[in-house]
Amino acid sequence: MLVKRRQRDAARGGLQGFATSVAARPVDRRSFLRGSGLAVGGLAAVTAFGAGTVRKAEAGPTDFSQPIEVKTNICTHCSVGCTVKAEVQNGVWVGQEPAWKSPINRGTHCAKGASVRELVHGDRRLKYPMKKENGEWVRISWDQAIDEIGEKMLEVRERSGADAAYLLGSAKFSNEGAYLFRKFAAFWGTNNVDHQARICHSTTVAGVANTWGYGAMTNSYNDIRNSKTIVFMGSNAAEAHPVSLQHILTGKETNRANVIVLDPRFTRTAAHATDYIRMRPGTDIAVIWGIMWHIFENGWEDTEFIDQRVWGMDQIREAVRAYHPEEVERITGIPGVTLERVAQTFATQKPSTFIWCMGGTQHTVGTANVRTYCNLLLATGNVGNIGNGANIFRGHCNVQGATDFGLDIGSLPCYYGLSEGGWRHWSRVWEVDYEYLQSRFDAVPAKGGRDARTPQENMSVPGIPSTRWFDAATLDAEEVDQRDNIKAMIVFGHGGNTVPRMGASKIGMEALDLLVVADPHPTTFAALHDRTDNTYLLPISTQFECHGSRTASNRSVQWGEKVVEPIFESDNDYAVIYRLAQRLGFADEMFKNYEMVQGKFSMEPTAESILEEINRGGWSTGYTGQSPERLKAHMQHQDQFDLVTLRTYDGAPEEIAGDYYGLPWPCWGTPEMRHPGTHILYNPNIPVADGGGGFRPRFGLERDGQTLLAEGSYPPGSDIEDGYPQFTYGVLQSLGWDSELTPDELATIQRIGGNDPEAMAAVSWSLDLSGGIQRVAISHGCVPFGNGKARAVAWNLPDPIPVHREPIYSPRPDLVADYPTRDDGRQFRVPNIGHTVQASAVDRNIASDFPIVLTSGRLVEYEGGGEETRSNPWLAELQQDMFVEVNPADAESRGIVDGSWVWVRGPEMDSRTRVKALVTERVAPGVAFMPFHFAGWFQGEDQRGKYPEGTDPVVLGESVNTVTTYGYDPVTGMHEGKVTLCEIVSA
Amino acid sequence: MTIFTKMSRVIAVLALGLFAVIAQPQAAQAQDIINPTAESVTEDALMEALNGDAQVQGRVSIPDDLSSGLIKPANRGWADTHGGPVRTVNLIAVVGMIVLLVAFYAIRGKIRIDSGPSSERIQRFSATERFAHWLMAVSFIVLALTGLNLVFGRAVILPVFGEGVFGTLSAWGKVAHNYMGFAFMLGLILSFVYWIAHNIPDKVDMHWLSKGGGLFVKGVHPPAKKFNAGQKGIFWSVTLGGAALSFTGVMLLFPELAGGEAGWQLYQVIHGVVAAILTAIVIAHIYIGSVGMEGAYDAMGSGEVDLNWAKEHHSLWVEEVQGKSSDGTGDGSSRPGTQPAE
Amino acid sequence: MARMKFLCDADRCIECNACVTACKNEHEVPWGINRRRVVTINDGLPGERSVSMACMHCTDAPCAAVCPVDCFYTTEDAVVLHSKDTCIGCGYCFYACPFGAPQYPRVGNFGTRGKMDKCTYCAGGPEADMTEAEYVKYGSNRLAEGKLPLCAEMCSTKSLLAGDGDIIADIYRERVVTRGYGSGAWGWRSAYGETVSV
Repeated sequence: MLVKRRQRDAARGGLQGFATSVAARPVDRRSFLRGSGLAVGGLAAVTAFGAGTVRKAEAGPTDFSQPIEVKTNICTHCSVGCTVKAEVQNGVWVGQEPAWKSPINRGTHCAKGASVRELVHGDRRLKYPMKKENGEWVRISWDQAIDEIGEKMLEVRERSGADAAYLLGSAKFSNEGAYLFRKFAAFWGTNNVDHQARICHSTTVAGVANTWGYGAMTNSYNDIRNSKTIVFMGSNAAEAHPVSLQHILTGKETNRANVIVLDPRFTRTAAHATDYIRMRPGTDIAVIWGIMWHIFENGWEDTEFIDQRVWGMDQIREAVRAYHPEEVERITGIPGVTLERVAQTFATQKPSTFIWCMGGTQHTVGTANVRTYCNLLLATGNVGNIGNGANIFRGHCNVQGATDFGLDIGSLPCYYGLSEGGWRHWSRVWEVDYEYLQSRFDAVPAKGGRDARTPQENMSVPGIPSTRWFDAATLDAEEVDQRDNIKAMIVFGHGGNTVPRMGASKIGMEALDLLVVADPHPTTFAALHDRTDNTYLLPISTQFECHGSRTASNRSVQWGEKVVEPIFESDNDYAVIYRLAQRLGFADEMFKNYEMVQGKFSMEPTAESILEEINRGGWSTGYTGQSPERLKAHMQHQDQFDLVTLRTYDGAPEEIAGDYYGLPWPCWGTPEMRHPGTHILYNPNIPVADGGGGFRPRFGLERDGQTLLAEGSYPPGSDIEDGYPQFTYGVLQSLGWDSELTPDELATIQRIGGNDPEAMAAVSWSLDLSGGIQRVAISHGCVPFGNGKARAVAWNLPDPIPVHREPIYSPRPDLVADYPTRDDGRQFRVPNIGHTVQASAVDRNIASDFPIVLTSGRLVEYEGGGEETRSNPWLAELQQDMFVEVNPADAESRGIVDGSWVWVRGPEMDSRTRVKALVTERVAPGVAFMPFHFAGWFQGEDQRGKYPEGTDPVVLGESVNTVTTYGYDPVTGMHEGKVTLCEIVSA
Repeated sequence: MTIFTKMSRVIAVLALGLFAVIAQPQAAQAQDIINPTAESVTEDALMEALNGDAQVQGRVSIPDDLSSGLIKPANRGWADTHGGPVRTVNLIAVVGMIVLLVAFYAIRGKIRIDSGPSSERIQRFSATERFAHWLMAVSFIVLALTGLNLVFGRAVILPVFGEGVFGTLSAWGKVAHNYMGFAFMLGLILSFVYWIAHNIPDKVDMHWLSKGGGLFVKGVHPPAKKFNAGQKGIFWSVTLGGAALSFTGVMLLFPELAGGEAGWQLYQVIHGVVAAILTAIVIAHIYIGSVGMEGAYDAMGSGEVDLNWAKEHHSLWVEEVQGKSSDGTGDGSSRPGTQPAE
Repeated sequence: MARMKFLCDADRCIECNACVTACKNEHEVPWGINRRRVVTINDGLPGERSVSMACMHCTDAPCAAVCPVDCFYTTEDAVVLHSKDTCIGCGYCFYACPFGAPQYPRVGNFGTRGKMDKCTYCAGGPEADMTEAEYVKYGSNRLAEGKLPLCAEMCSTKSLLAGDGDIIADIYRERVVTRGYGSGAWGWRSAYGETVSV
């Protein structure tokens, strides 16, 4: 399985080794590499593919006589957004240097970032298009691949409708790629388009946006340097976002800040905390309400903040009374006195920031968890200022951008939703008829007692989440609320092992008529199943092989330059999406606004022209000011930005003067308006023109007779010294500010309103394509979206006030009776039978047969599904075996020794995985942890032979999601990835 | 020799883990006092707990046990021992023995056959015995020279011959040392099997020793069997020393057998010291078997020795062989000593 | 001349392994050779600390003392380097090193372990600076380019410090004073016979 030292000895030993060592001359690099054994396989693999177009990028010594070009790009792994400085010689990436100038990473990287150069040398990359014929992978040309895929997609469309194709996109896309893919789905005619945000922070986006307006990190990694109290809950940033720790640890040291880690696992982050509190997995709501109980009990809440800027906190205060210390200890295992100290620290040693990740989001109560976190921040007045805020660390390098650009079953780009207004807005930006887009969608027949839908209705109905696509492929067609089941999967850059119930997804993959994997590496989607035909692999280049921007977790947008040409026969997303659109017959409409240039194999749109289209349409999120020119200027002058405030120093060049680094959205108005971006969201302490703002009133103007607009809180320089609703042309008219619009701006508003005064008055800041409304509002010191209150209670969501609910597979059947999961229902075109599953688990006494709680998480060396990182030998060497962390007590009672093989058995489908035991106190007794980056083994079977030859990752292993189980958040379809039950036995 | 005690006191992971585990239950019970920053392990405390000379052990994700040792202060101890005492022992043993022998030669001169060479020769060692001897002898010389090169080469050969020659020599020397060890071990086993019966100490040896083996006084020849006490000494030195070198040598060749770094280091020191002593003994042996004594070399040369030499140095053996011959099966034509000794 | 040292601030080290892969990247170090590694003490327990370790470029380097062929030398910057031309792969330096720095292509000694490889402090070897011959044997020579070792330059939390010993000791001391705790300059006693006292 692995190239280990001993095996290498066996393979090599003997005379060759003898000869090289005897000679009293150096072993040259080549034989040294050969000696590693790994290189032998690698080189042999390349040779096996023959010459042709396969090009091996030879790394090696720097020849100082050749000129070196320095290219700047962004690390393609996590969301911190570290700048990568690449030295390129003769078209080969020969060296990586610290990018000292970047205010985000200041030259540093984690293991992944420090090894990204390998990605464009990778022997194990997918080298050319391939398809499966009678179960064998065969090489095909791009032309053949596009032609056959297009033909089959059209067949599926003809037979089962547009919704039968599932378009799974990627958080590894550039912003332009993500936007293009979303647009592709719109032109194809489906809302079945999703990406990794579904399984990482979809519940965050839903929970946060429903609380105060936007679904994003409110502050930045850098700003945490200002915090006095830093709470991590369900976040292991030391492994998942290592470079962020540079800012956090500096803050901890210089401010002597409190670092509190609430986690079931004593993580690497916890090792650097000042307080570590172990909790039972899946009890976040009880923990937070337990903390808030103490806050309200002791009067530690920030009443001025609540009065001015929060609606509904009284209801929370009432609800929290039920979570008294005894009850909270019964649920979470944490004594009241501990939470009291956390409460006091968080509420009184301000500014306090709250950081959460997948430990909070990947639950059946994910959205509710997020809303409790928000409530804690609101109650203590810890949002919208320096050093505080909801610092949501996102996962992938562009998961924020891909979310923003609507790779989402429920929204068009920039959160315009799926309403007619949203569709009409984007059809104006895309310069196509709304009716044309409508014609692309299916009419859905009445079935299963549900009403039929017209195409127009269907285009406003959210699609199927990526956590459920396989259910939609295998369920009875009556159960799936669209014309037919999922029949075709087009997967761009998404692993298949990051979603629970892999046994079920394997069956789903096998049920498909067409499966297309477009990725730099063949993922689990290519190797898990036993398909024999109609399966295609398209080699896509990494972001280092194309231009484009990406949005880091802190909303800063950074422009990446192409470092090298796509290697082997791979090509970039833009070109491949274009060619598919061409074959499917809508390329002319879809690409008409772009500058098309000759790419590697075909014409392709330039990233700049796509971004410019985004700038023309992204008003709602303030994605309008970030023109390619401004972003490039920021990358060029990275050293002009302050490390803590992210704002330019005095005397910065004119083209960036006053900007925040990366123009974090919202960057209002047109690029010419030169809004600096918004470093800290909802910050009423600075003028809007300097990045200030308030909460976004998007839930109406009043509720229960109380205003939903801010009271007495407004950014300095505001001409309206109170709360106000969003700006429309009508509002401008009533304020008498409409006269400040330029004739061109007015003309645009007239065009949008169709010259109908009523329709014109309704044209809002987010629909006005001229940017005039935004410009005028900001010139009066007002926030275009209004100045409202955050909602402590989200009345439109399930559990408006979050309540603790036991996980589907709970180790505490006694608590299930008191805190059951929500009733069964239908969400996103499919049924959610969580309640039935939970009740059945209790009835069958699952908790005694599977007594260990299984949770999962990241390793620093790998990322996501892990195919890319496990193919990188520099990383793979550091984690060679899939493992399960077991507490010594559990290990001892089961006769398990450290390093031995064990079977981890799951409660569904008789699932089991064979992994190594890591016996450690890191996990509590009764809790086990598995990392989720592994794949390539399935229930004890080594699937190495299923990858196309030479593309198998260096390290394979069992996937944790083989044993994870049912459970979906009712708001977003997020899976339950952090709590299930298992049993562990010696193998 | 504190190095040995130090090395045997390697406290590893477990000890450390143990401290922590003992501390753990309290921490788990009173959950609100876990402050990982305040509780963090410090190098000072750790070193103190380990008394400064054991290894600081941790966990690494690379599947290579050796890399999980963070700091191994004891290794410096071994380095000091290797570069100090071991080198000194080698220097004293080898140079000392050579000096002694030169002095001995100067005073005593070559030991002659007192009664002069006879015309008769007697078979002392068979071809197989001589094969065993020379197998061992040649391999030992190579091992000793290459071994000494490892100890003194950089001080002696490097300055004289330069980096190129020394490098090539040492590289080949190391290979020779590694492979020749097995030849030596084979020779060692053969000689042990052939000669053990003749090397059991007895009363004759006491007498022989009391007379100083006749080495120091001309004309004195205490009686001896096939091997006199001196030769028995060589036999046992080679057997025991060789066994020690073989065992430790194999451990050094296959470190995974050596039981960790401390084990390897211990074996290395034993190997170096025993080799020095044995080399000194063997130098004396070579001296007496060649330039030191007339007629001695023939025993391992042709295998036949002068009868007079034999009578002077191995009187009892000659009697035995000749007696055997006359008591023989009546084959009077057979020349004395044509039968192998065994 | 500066006296180059490494100092790993364990209160900053999060075992992200950037130092390890940066090293692999910079010098194209093959699988199985780990010039640098991160060791975690008290793994999974409240006292847990990780320390990034490689050749510390000791004062009176014990590897040099035991090397039978005298292949080690110390540069003007006090960096301990070795000549692979001379090395015979005997393995002595591994057993002499308090930090487990020397690495060999093969694990055993029989036949040979192959030429020893270790951290060069990104300072190459005896060949002419920044030449292909040097790169092939030892990796790149950043010191000659006026840069510091890439492992330290890329350290995610600025935990691993490289540079003049006095300067990095001052940086560390200042940090300890600012934050009020410090688990020590790991390995300094064994490497340099001194420690950083605050």
